[in-house]
Amino acid sequence: MGLGRYIGKKALWYGGALLAAIVLNFILPRLVPGNPVDTIVSSLARGGSVTADQQQKIYASFVSQFGLDKPLWQQFLIYLNNIVHGNLGVSFSAYPVSVNHLVGQAVPWTLAIQLPSIIIGWIIGNALGAIAAFKGGRWDSGAFTSSLLLSAMPYYCLSIILLYFLALKAGLFPVGGAYSYGLSPGFNMQFITDALHYYWLPFLSLVLVIIGGQAVGMRSMAIYELGSDYVNFSRGLGIGQGKIVGYIFHNAMLPQITGLALSIGTMVGGALITELVFNYPGMGTLLFNAISSNDYPVIQSITLIITVAVLFANFAVEVVYGIVDPRIRAAKTGEK
Amino acid sequence: MTGIIPTDALEPRGNEELPHEVAGTDVGTQFTADGSPAAGSAPDSGPTAPKKRRRSGLNVSPRFWVAIVLVAFVMLLAFVGPFVYPYGPNAAAGGLYDPPSAHHWLGTDNFGHDVLGVLIAGSRNSLFNGLLAGVIATTIGVFIGILAGYVGGWLEEALMGITNVVLAIPALIVLILISVSVQNSNISFMKGIVGLALVIGITSWPWTARAVRAQASSVATREHIDIAKLSGARLPSIMALDVFPYLASYIVMAFVLQVASAILAEASLSMLGLGPQGTNSLGIQLHWALAFQAMGSGAWWAFFPPTIILTLVSFALLLLQSSLDEVFNPRLRRGKKKAVKAAAARRAAAARRLASQPVPERATS
Amino acid sequence: MTALTAAPPELLMRATNLNAAYSADGTRDVPAVDAVSLEVPRGQILGLAGESGCGKSTLGNTLAMIANPPLYVLSGTLEIAGLTIDLSTLDKGADARHRPHRGQIVSMLPQGAMNSISPTLRIRDLVCDVVRAHDRSKSRSDALDLARDRLTMLGMPVRVLDQYAHQLSGGMRQRMVTVISTLLNPQLLIADEPTSALDVSSQKALIEMLIHMVDEKIMGGAIFITHDLPVLSMVTDQLAIMYAGRIVETGPTAELVHSARHPYTSALLAAVLDPTRETRTKTVEGIPGSPPNLANPPTGCRFHPRCPFAMEVCARQDPPLVGEGIHSASCWWAKDHPHETVPLQGVSL
Repeated sequence: MGLGRYIGKKALWYGGALLAAIVLNFILPRLVPGNPVDTIVSSLARGGSVTADQQQKIYASFVSQFGLDKPLWQQFLIYLNNIVHGNLGVSFSAYPVSVNHLVGQAVPWTLAIQLPSIIIGWIIGNALGAIAAFKGGRWDSGAFTSSLLLSAMPYYCLSIILLYFLALKAGLFPVGGAYSYGLSPGFNMQFITDALHYYWLPFLSLVLVIIGGQAVGMRSMAIYELGSDYVNFSRGLGIGQGKIVGYIFHNAMLPQITGLALSIGTMVGGALITELVFNYPGMGTLLFNAISSNDYPVIQSITLIITVAVLFANFAVEVVYGIVDPRIRAAKTGEK
Repeated sequence: MTGIIPTDALEPRGNEELPHEVAGTDVGTQFTADGSPAAGSAPDSGPTAPKKRRRSGLNVSPRFWVAIVLVAFVMLLAFVGPFVYPYGPNAAAGGLYDPPSAHHWLGTDNFGHDVLGVLIAGSRNSLFNGLLAGVIATTIGVFIGILAGYVGGWLEEALMGITNVVLAIPALIVLILISVSVQNSNISFMKGIVGLALVIGITSWPWTARAVRAQASSVATREHIDIAKLSGARLPSIMALDVFPYLASYIVMAFVLQVASAILAEASLSMLGLGPQGTNSLGIQLHWALAFQAMGSGAWWAFFPPTIILTLVSFALLLLQSSLDEVFNPRLRRGKKKAVKAAAARRAAAARRLASQPVPERATS
Repeated sequence: MTALTAAPPELLMRATNLNAAYSADGTRDVPAVDAVSLEVPRGQILGLAGESGCGKSTLGNTLAMIANPPLYVLSGTLEIAGLTIDLSTLDKGADARHRPHRGQIVSMLPQGAMNSISPTLRIRDLVCDVVRAHDRSKSRSDALDLARDRLTMLGMPVRVLDQYAHQLSGGMRQRMVTVISTLLNPQLLIADEPTSALDVSSQKALIEMLIHMVDEKIMGGAIFITHDLPVLSMVTDQLAIMYAGRIVETGPTAELVHSARHPYTSALLAAVLDPTRETRTKTVEGIPGSPPNLANPPTGCRFHPRCPFAMEVCARQDPPLVGEGIHSASCWWAKDHPHETVPLQGVSL
């Protein structure tokens, strides 16, 4: 009963956030003085990458697709309608390839690299942080300082360092890309082993930074919980150390879960840049290429997709939070 | 907001409104509180009686000094560097990827510019961008946070609603959207480093607002606020004079994190090719190094220096924040190994002495 | 109070030569409990009173064997239920050594029970964990049966077992915590300010429950720590007054209240017990000064800087233990004035 209301309330919030994100995505380019299409198409023409004929076609398709000759509110409805039907438009630079196709090729790579690294990094990081808090002493100072260093590293900085030493110098891993030249993606043994070979380095550089960040957070959370009244009382009742650590872990976990909800966006953003360093064929690299060729429909689609994914992930995390924290079910409002 | 700063670092711990002693009795005394336990020592001196400063006053860990030294190093590089090192960032000084030499300490980059010269200029711009964006974000965040936390009611609901919505949308995405628009616009001011700092500042205030709100709403229930109200103080004056000082230490920490995250946000945008135009920054340096295959050419001097400076700055600021956290919140502090050993020996000696003492006998009257 | 204790009721526990210190940051030690010895007769409640920061709770934690860094117990033995327990926490295995005794021999009813139960734990889970921590052979349902019987016996609703701490009212939560801490019929219950955070009617309910539990022999005896003297005089059979880490006076509650032998006891009682108009104005400045900093306590009698009867010897030498029967005080004035009660007005100014 309480949980249902909680989820309903959250759904409302995230619905609002989603709407805000879509409006932002729609309005930001239109706030800029001058017609974005003119600017973009003229800069495309300057670059000489498109012929005058193509330019005309692009212009026409853009105007009709986004209804640029109509008032703003109608443009927004057209935009919404396109999104709802999963129509992301046509790429400028790879005209006439649809954005759906480009994005569809990139998404699996991004998912494959980000989902496991966020989940595994979160789990290992929390375990490490908890151990550092409970063990104290050498464990604590060692684990804490290295976690702090790791968490302080921008993803791409660690990527660059790992790439240089492990791939370029030691030759343990390939230098970039996601699979060997000449192979084409498919579900066969040869391709998967090859792709795994390319996978480790980007995965490692993401997971290490996430571990660091989570461990630092969990450590201070657990130290905070260690001093709480219930720990004292449980000890006074003769409950064993292991059980008490279990209580602490459960409670210290809760803020970490909301922390995860808050930082998913940040992680995803960092991971996008990491793809650049490794030239990994995911959304980050697609975004990079789109930006350098002013491929506006692709940029806008990627930002939209990422926003929706992050909002959805946040929502999922909040629902999990509601399930594990009984206080939420007691309809306690307040924070968030 | 890109990458690394754990944005929940300033979230309230547990479910208490006031996790730190920060908004405790008197911010001034926090520096002298050396973790002596409440039981046993003198009773709480209350807000009006700051304890006299003991020994070195500031009780900080070695971590704090490491952080200060690192920050000072980067500052020195960025602000004193140009006066010492002869090569500027824009002069063609050599060929493509010349290795480090006596003339060009860190070699040259893909344009033939001196890498150290570019690094110095880039560090300066990145630091400037970080500080400016940090000030903007912290100011907005603190204002909204205090307003929401102190005033409460529907205003709090509304402000926190907006904050949470903005928080849920990945900041980097908003930054990308704005930057793409700005780059295709004709406002040249916004294309520079100041414009970028402005954009970063305006997009990264929400989590400061959120953290400050939690603190402010607990300060709002304190007695001295009632006194201020009863004495007829107006809202802006209460917010500035009676609420703000109690959050000062907290805000300093939030500011440090904001600076770090702004520097990294700039770097991320620049690496994507959306950085400030016609100037240098650490991110732009990395962008060109990646774009011109410095990695493949083995020109480590082209990409390592900006990588290391970025890591150092971000590590130093995070370290600074965490050591400040320990100063303000003594519970997080752990004893130093040497002192702990000495204390153990001292305790054992005390125990032996006590064991050898006879139990006091009763004198009958 | 050893040799002369003339075999009144059977002795439940005796604690000897307790010394405990806080070691902050490893840089210095603050002795918070200094050479304290205590006895509690079976079936009685001993009150422990004193100003904030005098070491009451530290003493409680020491006896409950839950001292935790930065608090270290340097020495002390506890004789209870035929056991002699070394309370020192200096060695590494101290915690494991003490664990089986906690909750079963000595149990703790903590200060501020608001957060005494993990917020994400159902009461019934805590109950099971407590029971099974001491007897692995008991099943969950055994544990729950035990709790249900106990709740029924005390006239409390059984459904609270299925709830979380935050769902209970303050008074109910504190009573539930009390039930849990006495679930295993401990020999000694150490109640550390259990009533301080409660409203008057909840206080009354809790106190009645505690007395009922002692009468029903659910526990062998209790130490009741508080600075709330009216509550103490209602609940306790005996009182021990603590000042700056030491016990300054002990005796039967009624006797102590009416004929204090230590100036500090007298001052403390004067500050609270007599709620007439005149004394109330005096209580504001009740005892001049504040308790000493334990890191650097005064020599001799620790109360002498604030004591209106202080003599030259008080600053120089530790006071002797004076008294007969079970009423005794550590005081030079008391030694010089046998059988006299401290004149109240002399102290409260």
